[in-house]
Amino acid sequence: MSPGGEVSVGSDGPRKKGKATPDTLAVGCIAHVTKDGQARRAEILSIKETKSGRQFYCNFDNFNKRLDEWVPVTRIDFEKEVEWPNPDKDKAKEPKTKKNTGAVSKKTQPGKKNQRRPGKREQSVASEGQTPQQKDPPSASHPWSEFVESQQKDKKGTEDVVASLEVPSTGQTPGVGPDEMEVDEDETPASAAKKDHLHPFSREQEIEKLRTSGSMTQNPAEISRIRNISQVEFGRYVLFPWYFSPYPEIFSQEDSIYICEFCLSYYADLKSFTRHRMKCTLQHPPGNEIYRDDFVSFFEIDGRRQRTWCRNLCLLSKMFLDHKTLYYDVDPFLFYVMTTRDEHGCHFIGYFSKEKESQDGYNVACILTLPQYQRKGYGRLLIQFSYELSKIEGKLGSPEKPLSDLGLLSYRQYWSENIIDLLLSYGDNDEKCTIEGIASHLAMTTQDVEHTLQALKMQVYHKGEHKIVIPEKLVQQREKSRAKQKRLIDPERIQWKPPVFTASSRTWAW
Amino acid sequence: MATRKVRYKKLNVKTILPILREAQIDPTEYESLTNEAQIATGVEQAEENEYHLQAVLQNAGVAADKEIPVPPPQESTLDYEKLYKNRFSKTSTYIRFSQTVEECIGCMYDMTEEDETFLKSYNQKRAASAQLSDDDFERIMEVYEETADTRTPFAAIDQTVVPYDEMLQGLQDLGDKAKVMPHAKEIYEYWRSRRQALFNKPLHPTLKFETHQESDDMDPYVCFRRREVRQTRKTRARDVQSADKLKRLRKELEEGRQLVLASHNRELLKAETLKTDRAIFELRSQLKDIKVRLGIKTDDEDLVNQKPQKRKASEAPAVQRPPPPAALRMPVRPDGRPTESDLLELADRLAEKENELRVDIEKKVLNHAEWNRNYVDLTRGPLSPIHGPRQDPNFRPAKTQYLMTPPASASSGSMEEPTPMDLDKPQDPALLMKFRGVAQDEESRANPPAYRRRIGRLGRLWIDRRFNRPDPGLASPPRDVPDDGPDRWKYDQSSDDEEDPPVYNVDPFETRALKFRASIPIPPWMLQRPQINQRVLPAAMQQQQQQQQQQQPQPHPIPQQQPVPTPVQLPVTKSPAHLKAPT
Repeated sequence: MSPGGEVSVGSDGPRKKGKATPDTLAVGCIAHVTKDGQARRAEILSIKETKSGRQFYCNFDNFNKRLDEWVPVTRIDFEKEVEWPNPDKDKAKEPKTKKNTGAVSKKTQPGKKNQRRPGKREQSVASEGQTPQQKDPPSASHPWSEFVESQQKDKKGTEDVVASLEVPSTGQTPGVGPDEMEVDEDETPASAAKKDHLHPFSREQEIEKLRTSGSMTQNPAEISRIRNISQVEFGRYVLFPWYFSPYPEIFSQEDSIYICEFCLSYYADLKSFTRHRMKCTLQHPPGNEIYRDDFVSFFEIDGRRQRTWCRNLCLLSKMFLDHKTLYYDVDPFLFYVMTTRDEHGCHFIGYFSKEKESQDGYNVACILTLPQYQRKGYGRLLIQFSYELSKIEGKLGSPEKPLSDLGLLSYRQYWSENIIDLLLSYGDNDEKCTIEGIASHLAMTTQDVEHTLQALKMQVYHKGEHKIVIPEKLVQQREKSRAKQKRLIDPERIQWKPPVFTASSRTWAW
Repeated sequence: MATRKVRYKKLNVKTILPILREAQIDPTEYESLTNEAQIATGVEQAEENEYHLQAVLQNAGVAADKEIPVPPPQESTLDYEKLYKNRFSKTSTYIRFSQTVEECIGCMYDMTEEDETFLKSYNQKRAASAQLSDDDFERIMEVYEETADTRTPFAAIDQTVVPYDEMLQGLQDLGDKAKVMPHAKEIYEYWRSRRQALFNKPLHPTLKFETHQESDDMDPYVCFRRREVRQTRKTRARDVQSADKLKRLRKELEEGRQLVLASHNRELLKAETLKTDRAIFELRSQLKDIKVRLGIKTDDEDLVNQKPQKRKASEAPAVQRPPPPAALRMPVRPDGRPTESDLLELADRLAEKENELRVDIEKKVLNHAEWNRNYVDLTRGPLSPIHGPRQDPNFRPAKTQYLMTPPASASSGSMEEPTPMDLDKPQDPALLMKFRGVAQDEESRANPPAYRRRIGRLGRLWIDRRFNRPDPGLASPPRDVPDDGPDRWKYDQSSDDEEDPPVYNVDPFETRALKFRASIPIPPWMLQRPQINQRVLPAAMQQQQQQQQQQQPQPHPIPQQQPVPTPVQLPVTKSPAHLKAPT
């Protein structure tokens, strides 16, 4: 996350700078830390002592939190000046600081946001500028620890051939209201200011919103910023969590935790886990199978009926979803779980959750493909399945906002592919094209259709008329991706009726 | 951004949009049109400009080889096959499943490494037979943990420890107590020490749930809070509603219970039936052996299930539907007939009915014929040839002396319409008288008149007379009028060669004649026929006799006349009016 750096650079003048030593460097400082061979500004979020010495938990400027890491002293550049946390500011933010687990520069006060925005944009322009450089050495664009990098290289040779053309297909979801998206369209300082009034949800507002609907937190300050689980044994894989997840506090002391692949129960102790595995009889998600083809199956699970399993699932997915909140219980959600089959059972690939009754017309709350299955086209299947369900319900659907970066990419890809396919077929059939027509055909909201058209630069205003232009580039790209596209959901195989809930359950007494 | 600020015509979702290919539009113009679009992404603002995301977005549509880096997963070093031993068999239909996790994992306590070391040292002190297995250890621990959880939900706060005595009840419920109980106390002490070490918290790490609103709210570890139930207003109507609901629920549960009981009973009965059937079968097989051994040959009806009571019940309605189980179990009936023979075919039934009808009709026809025997209705075919006994050959000459006196009385009365009835009466005295005093003239001796006798309707005897020689001076006797009816009488004259038509000088308007005519009743054959019919049968006997006599050649006329009076008497007595007529 960037703001720390920006804030101090762009606006926040009075921030003390000065040289530091490993001993004086404190939580809240911004230092220059080496990441992938480059020195980057990073905010120190936590400090711990290990056998090999002191380590600092760094959040890198303009990098997603999933790339935060513990760094040893050696990677911190003490030659350069360190920006010290502003004590005044800290005081002003005292209540917030608690939530933020001591993050200082990260939290931005409403008043400051105005100034922050332009700064941000500059920044992004800057990073765009950097992008080409990054592109040339492919390994360099994969910022991770050295160990990861080496591993990456091994994989790159084989996997990249397959995966390189696919946009990463992990979905995550989050929740900015639709109104905000509209505002976002034309960004004048005025509207930005307006947004700033809208944006900072008060804690109470946020919790009220979560009580009645949604699963995504609007308030980044609420999120615990330091990853608490270092490693997860899950099935055949070891996963490295991206974000904080409220597993029992004691788990944060463990090197590795163990999660049963079928019931998703969590263990800190290998012996316990082994004992559990001897007793556990589950071999597939504990619900009804509603879709099956040669490749994957989908199970529908009611959060109220399978509370333990769904809680376990949420804890697991929280490790990979930043904005997901577990503040409230899972009762008002349905979970659609995608699995692959083999002789051991139905293995959990990914899932999306869905409110039993969404006030905002969302058809997806959270959506996730587990890391070991990412970049293989599974996310696309999940997204397609969510829209197939919406088609059966006869509703237009949209994922809950905010989207994560990966979620945005996956959805953009799904939307653009489907819209381009549809537009090309219109061309063949001589049909009339309207935004509404596209939306109802694809069960997408008109807003999503419009945004996709704009993002692809397909919607133009030409000679006093709105028109759609299909760029050749996109057509070619689509053909390429179609040739590669292995799997789709076959709507015929869905055995599903929209579940109906009684009036009493609708009063949130789930 | 500047370009975006120019607001065009608002794009309505229903606006029809022309679709162009890129080639159809001027490239430079297109460039300028699309240049600066700032599109909402739906991503959290603070993250929207993240370096890697922007890198990919910038390349959108150009090359997809840009990726957002993520910490990559690794292959696990644990032995997967050992941990996940269960084999999964794919079902043919979609899986339907509603068990919960708790139901699927059995004992909720999982032994830790610490437990394992403890148990090892614990077991070392014991003989192999007295050792505590891992499973039993877990079961005991589960009881302790569960009991502690229910008895002292706030143990972590108030530090109360459930005493061993209270644990006993839970242990009672464990199966296989003999194996478990000896260890219970020692395991309890171990459990207690472990709890103490964890500040009396549950041994398994648990999630943090709500405890206290104030402190919880900021704690990121507290999760899965309950949503407050929206309070509904309490009104009388609501109370009634919920009372009704409870009543209904109670009723439905009761009904369900009854249903279960009923089906339980049904299954018991079924089992009973099966047992009985089996017993019967076994007895039969014994019976069969015995029969074979003793060489008893019967039709084996006692070996098969088709027992009379069953058949009786099924036979009557079997017309429509023969009992299928019988057919299944035994294709051949005990009486050896194929089951189909029981079936009546429609054709057969129709034929039978028709037969009955025909028989009925034939019987009626016969009856009718019987009825009408000896009745000849000449009115039917006036010109048909005369048949039967009235052939002329029946006329025979009478060789008696004959006194020629015209019948005085008959001549006037029977002139116009002489019916056989009318003629009856005068005939008798005339004959009697005439036979007594026959005038023996030459002429009549040489040519005696011929007579014939015949039987008319109702068995009346008739004697017809015919003269062989024409005698113009002699009025033809009125009683020679044939009884065939007026037509006969009229036309036969010509065929009756020598006889002239008789001429009677009668004044039709004479008072006497009028009177007589007025006294003539409606002919009885018209009125009294049914009555007469009833007498046909007794009369028929006589007729038969008479006919036989008639056929026999009669040697002399005397016996021939004997029967005459009797039959003639009959009609006379019946209609006294006729008697008067000649007077």
